[in-house]
Amino acid sequence: MYATAYGVLRSGWDASDAVQDALAEAYAKIGGLRDPRAFPAWLSRILVNKCNTILRKRRRLVVTAAPPESEAFTYVGREDGLDLMAAVHGLDADHREVVALRYFRDLTLAEIANTLGCPVGTVKSRLNRALGKLGAALGTDDRAEVAQ
Amino acid sequence: MSAKNASIDCEACRESLESYIGGDLEAARAREVAEHLAVCEACAASYESTRRVVAGLTDLGGSFVPRRRFEVPQGRASHVGSGVGRGWRVAAAAGVAAALLTATAASVPAVAEQLPLPVGRQLAELREDRAELEAETERLAEEVERLEIELREIEGERMPQVNTAEPALPPEVNDAVQGLVVRFVRAQYERDASALRAMATERLRAEIDRRPGDYLKEGATVTFAQTTDVSLAQDGTYLVFVRLSDAEFHDSQYQENFTVIKAGDAYLVDSVEMDA
Repeated sequence: MYATAYGVLRSGWDASDAVQDALAEAYAKIGGLRDPRAFPAWLSRILVNKCNTILRKRRRLVVTAAPPESEAFTYVGREDGLDLMAAVHGLDADHREVVALRYFRDLTLAEIANTLGCPVGTVKSRLNRALGKLGAALGTDDRAEVAQ
Repeated sequence: MSAKNASIDCEACRESLESYIGGDLEAARAREVAEHLAVCEACAASYESTRRVVAGLTDLGGSFVPRRRFEVPQGRASHVGSGVGRGWRVAAAAGVAAALLTATAASVPAVAEQLPLPVGRQLAELREDRAELEAETERLAEEVERLEIELREIEGERMPQVNTAEPALPPEVNDAVQGLVVRFVRAQYERDASALRAMATERLRAEIDRRPGDYLKEGATVTFAQTTDVSLAQDGTYLVFVRLSDAEFHDSQYQENFTVIKAGDAYLVDSVEMDA
């Protein structure tokens, strides 16, 4: 959940807040979840809503200095993983969202479409474009040089 | 065989790569993609690139782990563990234990219905767990009851004070240290670095100069939601924790953990750590 929020929000502090708020809301509303199999998508929808709330608040702020990064979570992955996260942060917001839900929350395309309220085709095309941009950002994609 | 002879074109192939890598394509479509990749160098390169990005993203998702949220400087751990800040953590732990107790109790009949034999053994284990949780909840509830909360006014700010210090310090020490901390927080939100420096030890002044962004806060207003009383650590430093809410995220709180030392007649802030 943290990776998803961090991918979308690009701030460790905001991501920690989003996760905390989402878990609190999920705890309060868990009684309303009828199908336990829908839990991952259900929780993801709450998390995405929390992220969007934070993004909306952020639009009204004028940031004059970067706050210190949150130390709530620590990165224990591969050395080049943070470069990839930086590339994710460089994507547009709607691309960050689908990437995070697909790979950090492990949702299916249909679940993502349901979570975001958009057609599966839209999710698919956003995901493809996002992966292309990530590949290009990391220098692993030569599709820009390949004539279509 | 060339790419032209494959049953799908490059565009269709690349649109399907993500699902192909994830194993989500229908068998027939997956076969078409595989055939195309075998004969089209450009798409094979795209496949390799996408596969590496997808593998990296998949790893990334599980690569952030919670850090221990409450860290204290060396030498103070035993003191903090034995008193300071315990109230909030005890209250949270009591809540979790109560929730677990409820869940365990509620799930016993369900387990009995669903599990094959030996159900008896499972039930016995659950009952044992439940008894342990009941005892733990009772113990925590007693500890919560022992905590005292009073409403204080510090530097014109009214806030609840959770009394965790054992033993409590003289009121004049408590007032002086809490007053310093409230003024320090205000200066943080006023982004007044010189005021912060004036209230800081030499060590913290150097820190503020080195990383001012860590100490100057965004947002013009701050609300003091709660404070602990002041506690004296074994090494002679004073500890006080303040919960705050600011204009940036007024619906959530965070905590600043202060260590303060006495230098002559004055009290000075020696460290400030942000906490959840």
